Amino acid sequence: MMNNKNISDELLNSFIDNELALDETSEIFNAIGKDDALKERVCELRGLKEIVQHAYRQPLAHRMSPIKKLRTWRIPHIRNMPRLATCMLMLLLGWGSGWIMFAGSQSMGDPKLMRLFEATQSNGILEKSGNIIVHVSNSNPVRLKTALDETENLLKSYKRSNRQVNVEIIANGGGLDLLRADVSPFRKRIALMKTKYPNLDFLACQQTINKLQKQGIIVKLLPHTGVASSAVEEINKRLHQGWDYVRV
Amino acid sequence: MKILSLFCGADTFQEQLEQIRPKLYRVAFSWSHNAALADDLVQETLIKALKNAGQLRDPALLNGWLFSILANCWRDHFRQHREMEDIDELEDYRCVNETTPEDEHAQSQLVSRVWDAVAKLPVGQRQVLTLVDLEEFPYIEVAAILAIPIGTVMSRLCRARQALKTLLKELAPQQSAQVGQIRRVI
Repeated sequence: MMNNKNISDELLNSFIDNELALDETSEIFNAIGKDDALKERVCELRGLKEIVQHAYRQPLAHRMSPIKKLRTWRIPHIRNMPRLATCMLMLLLGWGSGWIMFAGSQSMGDPKLMRLFEATQSNGILEKSGNIIVHVSNSNPVRLKTALDETENLLKSYKRSNRQVNVEIIANGGGLDLLRADVSPFRKRIALMKTKYPNLDFLACQQTINKLQKQGIIVKLLPHTGVASSAVEEINKRLHQGWDYVRV
Repeated sequence: MKILSLFCGADTFQEQLEQIRPKLYRVAFSWSHNAALADDLVQETLIKALKNAGQLRDPALLNGWLFSILANCWRDHFRQHREMEDIDELEDYRCVNETTPEDEHAQSQLVSRVWDAVAKLPVGQRQVLTLVDLEEFPYIEVAAILAIPIGTVMSRLCRARQALKTLLKELAPQQSAQVGQIRRVI
């Protein structure tokens, strides 16, 4: 005969999660009917389960980055070889027809440039203002390189078409490694980019610097790196000013 | 038509991924309590899923398969940041340690209390609790997703709920002493 004392917490958890067999479930229902203390334990566990569900039920999806970012800034993967072959065929056909149509009219032969146009056009960047803020928050060197590659391609393309563009690269969290003199794997490249493109600015987040300093890390930034009081504030400010935002 | 069907197959798979994406995000967020990190983890999961789609033999297992990739991404994240530590005993870790607009726009008191309490659970307990409560996975599937024995799932869940109960009591706002002093005057 089951009662409050010989029913373990693990068994009650299994009961509220519908993990028990029918006969065990019936036994616990019988015991609950006769024992108020047991009823209270079950109610408490059910309440906990419901409160957790409630806390995360709120629409969190809006916090996710848009799907198109996944498709444009990362390399798409194909499921298997037949699909890969089909895609290659379609790409060749598309490239061929595109080349015939536009040959001689524009110099779009550079594959990097084409990739850039793909990315920027799908984000609507080229159609809108020429102000872009690039947010780097991850220390992964591949991402840091991507941020620089994409920014440089963007600046090149604007330069070629004689259009004005202002780009700010703002780094916080792990992304601050990009701008730290002692850590950055791209010191020389950043210096070159800064010289080549006067309309490119690098900004570091003061809050991240403070946090690193609290951990005893001395933060030395690359020359000509600006400091924003907070990356979030800077991004918000730029968004209000109509800048486009790209997170790498 | 064969060409079209090849594309349709890929599209269906991507559509399924996009449908499951909010669920993955919800669980990733409940593990990390960091919007940026959760987003990164989900993107990493989806990229790995697209890359290794051929490994999924039974499409009915897609859900569990994706969550196990997410659990691996989460584990990798810890390995990168905290080598040689037992993730089960680790307390919450925030990758980007700064106030975000999400934090600033405070949630309702109850919701933030639960978030705080869940964030204080050891990682292993938090994972089990959220997979069972939020996604309602059976214990056996949680065991497969996290690659742990089912007995461990049950004991972690039990400890998680006990701890959560205590934490929620601790985090509950203290009732003002003045409330007890109200007296009827008529």
